[in-house]
Amino acid sequence: MRRLLLWSLLLVACRPSGRPAAGPALTDAAGRTVPLAPPARRIVSLLPSFTEILFAIGAGDHLVGRTAWCDYPPAARAVPSVGDGMPPNVEAVAARKPDLVVLYHSGPNVTAAGQLARLGIPGVLLDLNRLEDLAPAARALGRLTGREAAAESLAAAMDSLAARPPPPPFTSIVFVVWDNPPIIIGRGSYLHQLAALAGARNVFDDVTVPSAQVSLETIAARNPEWVAVLSDSAAPPAFAARREWRAVRAVRDRRFLLLAGSLFGRPGPRSSQAVAELRARLEGRGVAPR
Amino acid sequence: MRWMLLGTVAVLALLASVVLGPAAVPLSELGRSDIVWNLRAPRAVLAFLVGGSLGVAGAGLQALVRNPLADPFLLGLSGGAGLGAVIALALHLTGPWVLPLAAFAGALAALGLVYRMGLVGGAALDPRILLLGGVAVGAFAAAITTAIVSLADAAELRNAFLWLWGGLSAASWDSVLLLVLYAPVPLAVLLAAARPLDLLALGEEPARYLGADVEAVKRRVYLAASLLTAAAVAVSGVIGFVGLVVPHIARLAWGHRHRSLLPAAFIGGGALLAIADTLARTVVAPRELPVGVVTALIGVPVFALLLRRWTIA
Repeated sequence: MRRLLLWSLLLVACRPSGRPAAGPALTDAAGRTVPLAPPARRIVSLLPSFTEILFAIGAGDHLVGRTAWCDYPPAARAVPSVGDGMPPNVEAVAARKPDLVVLYHSGPNVTAAGQLARLGIPGVLLDLNRLEDLAPAARALGRLTGREAAAESLAAAMDSLAARPPPPPFTSIVFVVWDNPPIIIGRGSYLHQLAALAGARNVFDDVTVPSAQVSLETIAARNPEWVAVLSDSAAPPAFAARREWRAVRAVRDRRFLLLAGSLFGRPGPRSSQAVAELRARLEGRGVAPR
Repeated sequence: MRWMLLGTVAVLALLASVVLGPAAVPLSELGRSDIVWNLRAPRAVLAFLVGGSLGVAGAGLQALVRNPLADPFLLGLSGGAGLGAVIALALHLTGPWVLPLAAFAGALAALGLVYRMGLVGGAALDPRILLLGGVAVGAFAAAITTAIVSLADAAELRNAFLWLWGGLSAASWDSVLLLVLYAPVPLAVLLAAARPLDLLALGEEPARYLGADVEAVKRRVYLAASLLTAAAVAVSGVIGFVGLVVPHIARLAWGHRHRSLLPAAFIGGGALLAIADTLARTVVAPRELPVGVVTALIGVPVFALLLRRWTIA
């Protein structure tokens, strides 16, 4: 016990207690200090949203690594992939010799950022769950890359989207993430915000968390006009053919909204485009599937 | 008297699972409601059939391996079912029945492998090898499953685990019909083995002296119990504790005679799962709890009480 205590004291003593304030620095979502100067020139982005933001603020040229999911803008595909990033492959990231790694703020990524720090690679952990996280993320990435002006104009647009009062809903929707057991999107999620801004009431707006398991009969009783599924395929989801799902009227009437994950599944610079396309499809002004 | 009590509990459990639910359906419209008729009723019946099958399978396996810890899922079937489901997802097979069929095939493959391992010298089925082989095959299948999930890039694969622990969400009259057609054969095989199972409890040698065809009985019981479990996992995923706890409770009231123990385990298991599923659907509505959580929350305290009684007695 005493030895354990001694060891932990030693560990605490050895831990870098925040970088010495040699220059301007930024405090990230995990409370870590990231130096701002010099601007990052070799960046690894470990979330598709960050990749999109970096390109949108003109820092795309400095990307030297991305995840397998980073598919937009098309130029992102030319950047070497470092894997799926769940959790990050620290060696593959380090092999890109980055001077900045941008990570989504989550438990495994806090660990990965610590491992990168021990290799002398600065990492920044940013929240990106909802629309209101976009502007702060854009500003932070602007400061880290020396693209403040471009970042500020993107952030202003994101702020105004996040602050836009939702229009009165003219239809209702359920987002089905998984069919057995049925898992749906609740009020805590980005997709809920998208639906609200597009004029659709999420029938599970009383579920405060981002997603939750529910009973099929609750979906049937709440009777949404649309069943939305994140899917890159044009075919209805497999559960559409299952008998128990036919208790849901929208499934019987085949009112599915198949939303491409790249545009709809992530908050990013294209969120206002996602709102507009979702609105168009809810109004039946179908946007031709690409 | 105890049959009356058990029957009453079972009927009440079934009634409750049809009447209660997260959606408000007035009592007067119960008979006409689409939700009740197409979602709640098949789900209640399926819960009862699955719970009953697991209860009987557990009772049979506990007698076969002469180990009170035996659970229908201990013998590698859940690992095999999970592997089957993940392979189907990785191969991008689509269709409403792909996952249940793949899980059933995976469970059957695990069953065959464990059975082959248990047949020592090609003839006699060794219950200890069955147990160890089951754990080994289950662990191996789980390792392959995890390897596939972490190597493949389809995010959907991660949901295979959700499916495997899915519970009764996919209940429909189709799945009820499947089980109604399928389960009677293995159930009848187990029931017909009631008397030899009583003898087997005395040990294999004494059972043989008393005239039981021990090897044939062991084989039949293992295959029938596993086939029941494989069907249960295909329609409802892995549901723990029913097959472990219910036989022990039934033994307290009905003793060790399998002729009454097995039917009691069926009705008791059915009632327990119907009650657990009703709770899973209603207590946190509109959200739902995984039914396995509820069976464990009910089952573990009961089990703990039983253990205390045994150790005191």
